[in-house]
Amino acid sequence: MAAPTRPEFTELVARFGRELYVFLWRMLSNEQDAEDCLQEAFLRAYRAYPRMQGEVNFRAWLYRIAGNTARTQLKRRLRRDGREIDLPDEDGTASQQADADLELRERLTAVRTAVRGLPFKQQQSLILRKYQGLSYAEIGAALDCSPESARANVYQALRRLRSELAVERQE
Amino acid sequence: MKEETMDAEKRLADWLGDSGESTRVAGDSLLMELDTLYAGSPAEAAVERALAKLRAELGEENPVLYYGELAASPVGPISVALSEAGLVAVEFGEAGPEFLEHLQRSHQGQAVRSPERAGPVLRQLAEYFAGQRDTFNVSVDLSRSTDFQQQVLRAASRVPRGGLATYAEIARQIGNPRASRAVGQALARNPVPIVIPCHRVVAADGSLTGYSGRGGIRTKAQLLVLEGVSSYTAALS
Repeated sequence: MAAPTRPEFTELVARFGRELYVFLWRMLSNEQDAEDCLQEAFLRAYRAYPRMQGEVNFRAWLYRIAGNTARTQLKRRLRRDGREIDLPDEDGTASQQADADLELRERLTAVRTAVRGLPFKQQQSLILRKYQGLSYAEIGAALDCSPESARANVYQALRRLRSELAVERQE
Repeated sequence: MKEETMDAEKRLADWLGDSGESTRVAGDSLLMELDTLYAGSPAEAAVERALAKLRAELGEENPVLYYGELAASPVGPISVALSEAGLVAVEFGEAGPEFLEHLQRSHQGQAVRSPERAGPVLRQLAEYFAGQRDTFNVSVDLSRSTDFQQQVLRAASRVPRGGLATYAEIARQIGNPRASRAVGQALARNPVPIVIPCHRVVAADGSLTGYSGRGGIRTKAQLLVLEGVSSYTAALS
């Protein structure tokens, strides 16, 4: 039997481009940054693609690259702006809802800040599981850890958010 | 207290879709706020813009070549490569790494093995060798050939199976009767032998002056005999 054939690279773009954009948009909460990171992630993937051999979960592999690109972008933004928290896009869902209620908006900003303050792996695991719908096995493949560890990351993220925000709200 | 903790864990599991039960986030402000922040989707126009830009960038900078091979034929293994526009290469006797190396040298872009894209032309080649096909029905991408080469190759592709033409005849057909030698050179650079049957073009005295494919004149004779031009059988012995 011949080795399993790889999908064509353009097919990966067609299959996963959209969900990776959405992932980056969620991680970066900014359309322009998500667009730039999407280009960068796929160009990196493209260069590494010829070296990919054997059975590869391409979805997880692309999430790994996109996640690394997002982390670099967040660091870059931090250096550039001296702050990690961006203003959400004006037309974003979050801002539309938050505008109606200043207090809610403050709370959401606190939650976003707390999410950004999580270890990156936890932050990523949470978004991948809950909002991108990846299985723990896929998250493990994307983050180079076991499915159990991926799962633990998600729960740790939530517990940590809960305790941090509880303290904040008591103050 | 213990019960409370278990309850909280269960709620997280429900919310994450880990428990198989429905989500109960009402009253849990953290989970509701996370949903508010992250469950939304970006504007469709933004997604489309990003994807269009991505496709353009990848397509322009890195054309993809699809390739595949026929493991065995009367002239050895045959490899083919196609661009988005059509067939760009047919090579005899080269397979796998050797063909890839050849392709990387002569073409920019990324080579991707693709049975889907290469399948139709490989199937037609197999039918050709089995004597079940006279003409090929594939788009050929000659964009890397000069205008003159393209004219010559188009003229050569009109020579039918079992027929022969001379370099001088092709030169006349393209309106350049004194260009027989240039016609020979253009045919020697045929990127898609067999599919464009440059082997059917011979010298005025009928001799097989040259063939660019692997195996040279012998392969040329082999193809002609296969097509029923029996006068070249002697060249094979």
